[in-house]
Amino acid sequence: MMQGDRSRLIVILELAPVALVLGGLFGGAVVLAILQSLGFAPWFGINTFPDFSYFARLWGGEAFWVSLGLTLYYAVASTVVALVLALILSLALLKSFTGRRFVKFVYKLPLVIPYAVGIALAILMLGNGGMLSRLAAFANLIDDPSGFPSILKTHYGWGVIAVYVWKQLPFMTLAVAAVLVGIGKRTQEAASLLGAGPLTIFFRVTLPQIAPGVVTAVLICFSFNIGAFEAPFILGGGYPDTLPVIAWRYFNDADYALQLQGMAAVVSIGLLSGCILLAYLWSYRRFERRVGRD
Amino acid sequence: MTKSRAVAALLAASIGLAGATPIARAADSAASFRQVFLAGAIAWDKVEARAKGEKELNFYYWGGDDTLNVWIDSVVRPAMAERGVKLNPVRIAATKDAVDLVVTELAAGKAEGEGSVDVIWLNGENFFTLSQQDALWGSFAERLPNSKNFVWDPASPLSSPNLRDFGTETKGREVPWSGEQYVCAVNSQYVQAADAPSTFADLKAYLEDNPGKFTYVKPPHYVGNTFVQEAIYAHNPDGNGAEPFQKSVDELGAEELARLIAPGLDYLKSIEPLLATADGDKPRYPEDTAALDSMFLNAEVYFNCKFGIYAVNSGLITGRYPEAAQEFIFPEKLMIKNKNYLAIPLNSPNPASALVFADYMSSVDAQASKLKTVGYPVGIDPMQLSANDRELVKIAAPSHYGVTSEDLDANAVADTNASLVDIIEATWLEYIERGSDKPIADIVADAVGKSAPE
Amino acid sequence: MQTPSKRMKLSVFQRFYIVAVVAFVLGPFLPLVIQSFAFRWAWPDLLPSTWWLERRTVSPVPLAWDYVLSPYSQVGVATINTLFIGFAATLLCLVICLPAARALARDRFRGKRAFEFLLSMPLIVPEAVIGMALLMIYIRLGLAGSYTGVIIAHLIPTIPYMVRMLTSVYLGLAPDYEEQAAILGAGRVRILLRVTLPMLMPGVVAGALFTFLVSSNVFLLTFFLGQGRIVTLPTLLFSKISGGSLDASAAGIALVASLPGIVLFALSERLVREELFVGGLGR
Repeated sequence: MMQGDRSRLIVILELAPVALVLGGLFGGAVVLAILQSLGFAPWFGINTFPDFSYFARLWGGEAFWVSLGLTLYYAVASTVVALVLALILSLALLKSFTGRRFVKFVYKLPLVIPYAVGIALAILMLGNGGMLSRLAAFANLIDDPSGFPSILKTHYGWGVIAVYVWKQLPFMTLAVAAVLVGIGKRTQEAASLLGAGPLTIFFRVTLPQIAPGVVTAVLICFSFNIGAFEAPFILGGGYPDTLPVIAWRYFNDADYALQLQGMAAVVSIGLLSGCILLAYLWSYRRFERRVGRD
Repeated sequence: MTKSRAVAALLAASIGLAGATPIARAADSAASFRQVFLAGAIAWDKVEARAKGEKELNFYYWGGDDTLNVWIDSVVRPAMAERGVKLNPVRIAATKDAVDLVVTELAAGKAEGEGSVDVIWLNGENFFTLSQQDALWGSFAERLPNSKNFVWDPASPLSSPNLRDFGTETKGREVPWSGEQYVCAVNSQYVQAADAPSTFADLKAYLEDNPGKFTYVKPPHYVGNTFVQEAIYAHNPDGNGAEPFQKSVDELGAEELARLIAPGLDYLKSIEPLLATADGDKPRYPEDTAALDSMFLNAEVYFNCKFGIYAVNSGLITGRYPEAAQEFIFPEKLMIKNKNYLAIPLNSPNPASALVFADYMSSVDAQASKLKTVGYPVGIDPMQLSANDRELVKIAAPSHYGVTSEDLDANAVADTNASLVDIIEATWLEYIERGSDKPIADIVADAVGKSAPE
Repeated sequence: MQTPSKRMKLSVFQRFYIVAVVAFVLGPFLPLVIQSFAFRWAWPDLLPSTWWLERRTVSPVPLAWDYVLSPYSQVGVATINTLFIGFAATLLCLVICLPAARALARDRFRGKRAFEFLLSMPLIVPEAVIGMALLMIYIRLGLAGSYTGVIIAHLIPTIPYMVRMLTSVYLGLAPDYEEQAAILGAGRVRILLRVTLPMLMPGVVAGALFTFLVSSNVFLLTFFLGQGRIVTLPTLLFSKISGGSLDASAAGIALVASLPGIVLFALSERLVREELFVGGLGR
C-alpha cells in the first residue's frame, strides 16, 4: 500500500462523492445564481443573457452601497471585537487557576448553541424593555423604557454585533489557543529573560507568531458575518438592511424581475466574500515572503 | 413556507415536464362531483359519505396564534375525526404562501382534484388574487346545511360582508368564518381615560405632549396596512371617509387615488418624529403584532392597535397584555370592521371533506367554541339563529374592558377595496419607509402600473 | 521550573476578565429560564409579577411549559427532525469524507490544490448566496421539502470541517501499521476495521461531533429547502422570534433548542481533546 501503488482510479473514486456534493450541488448553485443574476432564466420566460442591467440597477441605487457599508461594518466590528476578546481570553487560559476546567467548558457553549437562541438572548437582555434596561430602572438611572439607550433595532447594530461576538468568541479562542499551544513558550521566556515587559512580549513576539494561524479563523468568521441573515433581520435597524436581508426581501416579492434582482444581490455578497479571500491570499503571500518562509 | 411566485413558476415548469399522471381518473371524478354539487343535485349525506372515503384534509392557515393552534388541534381535529375526515392542519407564516401555492399548481397543470391545498383561511387581497386567477372551487357557501346561519339576502345590510370581501364579490366561493374589528388598547395605568385620543388630531396632540408613546405595526403586514387605511379615511379630502375606497383601482384611477390618499400619508409622515424612536430620530415600527404586544407590555408604548375585538381579553388571559389594558374607541366612526373566510381552491384534492369542514366551521357549536376559547368573534349572523343558539353565542363571548359591543358597532366602517390595498402599501413603503422625495402622485402611478394584470 | 513564578498566576485584570466572560456567556440564560416560567413579566420588574404556575390551573389554554411540551407547539416534531437530520448528515458526511481524507493525506495528484480550494469554498461563500439557487435545483430534482434533500444540503457546510479533521488525523497516521498488517496477511477490510479505524477513532469522533453540532445549528438551508414541511428547532425558534419579541413559550423553545448542543458537548468533553477540534482550522 505504498503511495505509488494506489491507482488514479481509486483516488478519483475516493474523491468523487465529496466532489459531487461540493462541485455539483454547491458549485451548481453558485453557477445558477450567477447565471440568473446575468439574466439567464428561461424557465421564468426571461433570457436576456448576458444582461448586466440587474447589477446596474442594484449597484446604481444609493441604498445598495449603504447596505454594503452596513454589512461590512457589522462584519468587521464583530470580528475585531471577537478577536481581541479571544486573544485576552486564551492568554489567560494558558495559566492555571481554580475553576480553569469549568471556564474551559463554559466559554465553548455558544459554539454549540444555535444562532436563534443567541438572538433570543439579545432580545431579552438588550431591548428597551429588557434586563439591562430593568436593572437601570432598578438603579434609578432611568424611569421609562425609552430612557434606556436603543441598543437593538438601530443601524449602529450593537445588538447584531453582540450576537456575533457571543457566538464567535469560542471559535476565535479555540483557534488562538491551538496556535498558542503550537508555538510554545520558549520565545516568550527568552524575551522575558532579555528584559522585555509583558506587553512588549505580546505585541512583538506572540502576535506575529500566532497571526498566520489565526487568519483562517478570522476569515471564516468574517465571511459568515457578511452572509448572516437571521441576526440583522430580527435585530437590525430596518431599511436600509444588510445585503442578505435585501436579497431575502427581493426573493419574497411576487415580481419576477425582483427575483433576478435578488440573485444579483446574493452574487454581490459572493463577490464581496471572494474579494476578502483574495485580499487574504495576497497579503498572506506577502507576509510569508517577508518572514522568509515559503 | 417561502415560495415566491418566481420559484413557483420553476415548480410549474418542472411539474409540467413530469407529464400526465394516473391521477387523471381522480380528476374526472373530482370534476363531476364538483359539477353535481354546484348544481345542487347531490344530497348532503352523499357528500359526507364521499368525504369519509377521501384522504387527509389540508387546511392551510396562519399559525402565529398559539391559542388558535391549540383549538384547531384539540377541538377541530377530533370533531372532524367524528365525521370521518382526517384533518391535516398546515401552519403557514403568511396566507400569501398558500395562495401562491394554489396559483402555481394550477399553472403547472394540476387541475381539479390534483392540488395540495383543500381549505385556506383568508380574506381581502388574498381572496382577490384567487378570484382573479379563477382559482376557486365554486359557489358552495349557500349549499352548505349551515348556510342558514348567514344572511344572504342582498336586500339586508347584514348580508354585505357575506356577499362582498373587501369589495370583491364572494359569490359563495368562500364562507365567513370570523368577524373582526380594528380595536386599539390603551394602558390605563399611564393614560387617563379622558386623555385617550378619539381622533387622529387628538392622537397628534397627545403625542406632542407625550412623544414616543405610540407606534403601529409596519406595512406590508396587514395590521399595519389597516392603520394606514384608517388614517387615510380620516384625512379624506372630500370628507366622506371610507366611501371612495370601496371602489376598485380601475374605477378610481391613479390620479384620483393619489389625491385621496395624500393627506393621510402626509399626516403619517408628520407624526413620524413623535413615534417611539429607535435610532434617536428614526421611528421604530414593529414588524408584527407580537413585537408590538411586547412593546405594549413593557410600557414602551401606551397603545396597541390591531384586529381584535376581544384582544384585550385574550391578552389578559395569556399574560401578554399589562394588567391595566383597556379597549377604547379610536378613531371615532372609523374602526375598520371586516370578516374573514374559508375558501376552497379549484384544485382541492379532497373537495367533499373540504365541504364537510366548511359546514362544521359554520355550525353554532364550532363558532361558539372558537369564540370562547380563541376569542375570535363569530362569522355567522346571530340574527339568523334560534333564541337558544343566540344565547349560546352571547354567553360564549369573552369580556370587554372599557367599551361595550354597541360602542364598537356604532363606530364601525368598511374595509378598503382589495385592489387598493397593495397600492397604498407600496406608497407607504416608498414615501415613508424609504423617505422618498417623489410626489405621492408619481409613487401611486408607479404602483398602479406595476399592479396591472400581466 | 518547579517553583510557580509570578507569571503563572492570573493578574487582577485577568481574574476580572474571566468572570466577565463567564457572565457574558452564561448570564443571559438566567432571564431566559425565568421568562419560560413567567406568566406576566413586564418592565421594570426584575422578577415576574405573575408566575406561570400560579395561573396554570386557572388558564383555559396551556401556557408556557405546558404549551411547549405539548404536541401543539411542534417542539417534539422539531426535536426529532433536528436529531434525525443531524445523525443522518453526520453518518453520510463520515462515509464520503473518509475516503476523500485518505486521498488527500496519502496522495499527490494533479488538482490537489484545486480540490483543497473547493473544500474551503463553503466556509467563504455564505449560505445566503446559494440558498435560493439550491432550492431551484432541488425543485428540478424533486428534492424540495424532502428529508433526503435537507440532509444532503447539510453536507455542504459540514464537509470542510470533517475532511480537514480527518485529513489531519490521517496525516498523523503512519502507513507502516497498515503495511505491516498487509504483509502479515490481513485482508483489506480487516485492515480497515482492525488497524485503520481504531487509530482514526479520535479524529472520527471529533469530526462526527463537530458535524452534528453544525448540522443542528443550520437555519437558512433548512428553512429554504424544507419548504415549511420540515421543521427543525432552529426554524421553529426563528419563526417564533422573527418579529423581535420573546414570550414565555418562545423562551421555552429557545431552551429546548439549546439542549441537543449542550448535551452533546458535555458528553464529548470527556471524549475529545481540544486540539482535535481545531485540527483543521490552522493553515
